[in-house]
Amino acid sequence: MKKSDNAHRCPFAPPTSDVEASVETPRDPPQRDRRRFLRSAGLAGLGIGGLALSGRCPAQADAFSSQADASSSEVTRAPLQRNAQLAYPFHGRHQQGVTTPRQATGMLVTFDVLARNREQLDRLWRTLDARIAFLVRGGEYPTRDPRYPPHDSGILGPEIAPDGLTITVAVGDSLFDTRFGLAEARPRHLQRMTGFPNDALDATRCHGDLALQICANTLDTGYHALRDIIKHTPGLLMVRWKQEGTVPLLPPSPGDVDGSARNFLGFRDGSANPDGTDTALMEALIWVGAEHDEPAWATGGTYLAARIIRNFVERWDRTPLGEQEAIFGRRKMSGAPLSGDGAEGREQDLPDYATDPDGEITPLNAHIRLANPRTPETQNSRLLRRPFNYANGVEANGQLDMGLLFLCFQADLEAGFIAVQRRLDGEPLEEYIQPVGGGYFFVLPGAVDDNDYLGRGLMAATA
Amino acid sequence: MKTYPQWIIAGALSLLTLSSAQADVAPEALIGPVADYKLYVLDNLEMLVTETEAFTGAIQDGDLEQAQALYAPTRVHYERIEPIAELFADLDASIDAREDDYEHGVEDPDFTGFHRLEYALFHDESTAGMDAYAQGLMDDVNDLEQRIQALTFPPETVVGGGAALMEEVAATKVSGEEDRYSRTDLWDFQGNVDGARQIFALFKPLAAQEDPDFVTRVEGNFDDVEATLAEYRIDADDPEAGFVSYDEVSDADRRALAGPVTVLAEDLSTLRGMLGLN
Repeated sequence: MKKSDNAHRCPFAPPTSDVEASVETPRDPPQRDRRRFLRSAGLAGLGIGGLALSGRCPAQADAFSSQADASSSEVTRAPLQRNAQLAYPFHGRHQQGVTTPRQATGMLVTFDVLARNREQLDRLWRTLDARIAFLVRGGEYPTRDPRYPPHDSGILGPEIAPDGLTITVAVGDSLFDTRFGLAEARPRHLQRMTGFPNDALDATRCHGDLALQICANTLDTGYHALRDIIKHTPGLLMVRWKQEGTVPLLPPSPGDVDGSARNFLGFRDGSANPDGTDTALMEALIWVGAEHDEPAWATGGTYLAARIIRNFVERWDRTPLGEQEAIFGRRKMSGAPLSGDGAEGREQDLPDYATDPDGEITPLNAHIRLANPRTPETQNSRLLRRPFNYANGVEANGQLDMGLLFLCFQADLEAGFIAVQRRLDGEPLEEYIQPVGGGYFFVLPGAVDDNDYLGRGLMAATA
Repeated sequence: MKTYPQWIIAGALSLLTLSSAQADVAPEALIGPVADYKLYVLDNLEMLVTETEAFTGAIQDGDLEQAQALYAPTRVHYERIEPIAELFADLDASIDAREDDYEHGVEDPDFTGFHRLEYALFHDESTAGMDAYAQGLMDDVNDLEQRIQALTFPPETVVGGGAALMEEVAATKVSGEEDRYSRTDLWDFQGNVDGARQIFALFKPLAAQEDPDFVTRVEGNFDDVEATLAEYRIDADDPEAGFVSYDEVSDADRRALAGPVTVLAEDLSTLRGMLGLN
């Protein structure tokens, strides 16, 4: 689409070229929210013009503007609207896909790295960097003599829209073995995921030298990106496993817009997420910084814990509502904590455990109480969840293979996911769920500009 | 390589109707390599017929051990010429289909050919009841030979055959699902690589005119694959001795094979375009 066409079709196109002015006029509360999002997306210095740079209709940022309420958890709020021209800037201290508002679809793809030496590994980083930079911006592929295979799969047509695409590159513990001389630079907490008591891990869906989290408004955009990357990395990468998922889109009804999306157990997921737009909080909890005692190259990265968690949905659907709510510690429809004001309660209300030491209102083994006891000692074990629901097919027993592609980010894997999961071991919810795959990865720091590339710091640190 | 009746070569030559190629590769330049390739295929076909006679004969004689020993070396000739053999989809199905291709798997009455016999020889460890399957395979192989002798080789199929063979390797050989009962996957693997390399070797001088770096890269990747395969030969000095069981190939080596195989598949997929073929 040409820029002029774009402006023509945009129903909210500003009457003047002064884009910045136009955003102050119409609806007020949504605008506040949008500007906050733009700041968090690293666009502060560019203002709204940053989006316009990529030829976007400025009002298309309204995909997020009707998400009212500034209190918390933008990362997991349900995506409201498709927006093919939404583009997130690739360059920055941090990669996209962590504090970026969660798109409607996401997949985690892990790979074995086939590169045989550091030179090939470096070529892999540069190739990934270049492909991602192109894919998240969108555009056209060069045409080719039809007697050759085309450069592009073509599944998105001749012009690739950014479609909110983010591709987040993370490395697994196994990349730091003897192959590439990276052992000295291994992030301190990076390790091979080991099974927890309720896990039934399937080796073919675990671990990987490298992981790509690919998120976009539509799965097709994600598949297109994945195929592009595979085509550009023969001999360097081999797919190990892949799990995609979606987030239920909220209907535009006023009653239900104000909350986290639901998982396949019907509960809102992400309620107590730390606020992804709170930069200071993100630096403390999510992004690796000087205080985390990690190798210098890792600054600006974060740990990703990924888990494929099967849900036994038929059994869950045969469980009384009261029991379901006791298992989670929240009301199913509103998402309000059980300790709240009954029907008036809201998802954002803070659970009150202090006046309920024996668990008469919120059982002591309720999921949210174990995961986040809200004590000073556990504040550091908060993590940023960014999950997707998956549905794969049918098991041999005729039951649906559905569940949660659980993805969470934290600056300290031990204090984050591992500590939380240990507290959850033995929870009543285990009757209805079973983790079957996943892995631990370290999300590389971002590439700050065209002279930088993803993985450069890691290579330089071990040169 | 043997000599063949003139008419075979003439047939291969006369029916080359080539589209206008890129300026640098004249269509006539392809005629020689395509004719040479037909000789290579016919050579392998003749060996396939001879060895299938011995293989199916062993089954009909109830000689399990001999039949097991002949299974992999017989198939190699088929694997080398698959791009051409596959042009006859009916025979390819009855000769080389796997149980996965049938709804009822091993029990499916339509499941015949090498892999049905493989199941009997290596899973059941018996030749009982296999006479008809053995005869069927022999008949199919004879039929294949006749059809291929009469075939005009389409240059697109020949040039594209190198890529097709590497796709075959990438799809079913690296994973070890081709010969799941005999575990003789490496024989087939080598057969596919032989066939692809033969095609590449025949067209290499033409490709080198277009893109010398491409030729160097492809050669290097073929060498890589063959070097890794060679580590699993039972006797380095005796190619006839073949390969160890695919179960003995380490995960690291499976990945080491997947890398250059995928690069070869990508690179060889451009060979048709490079030589000006549709």
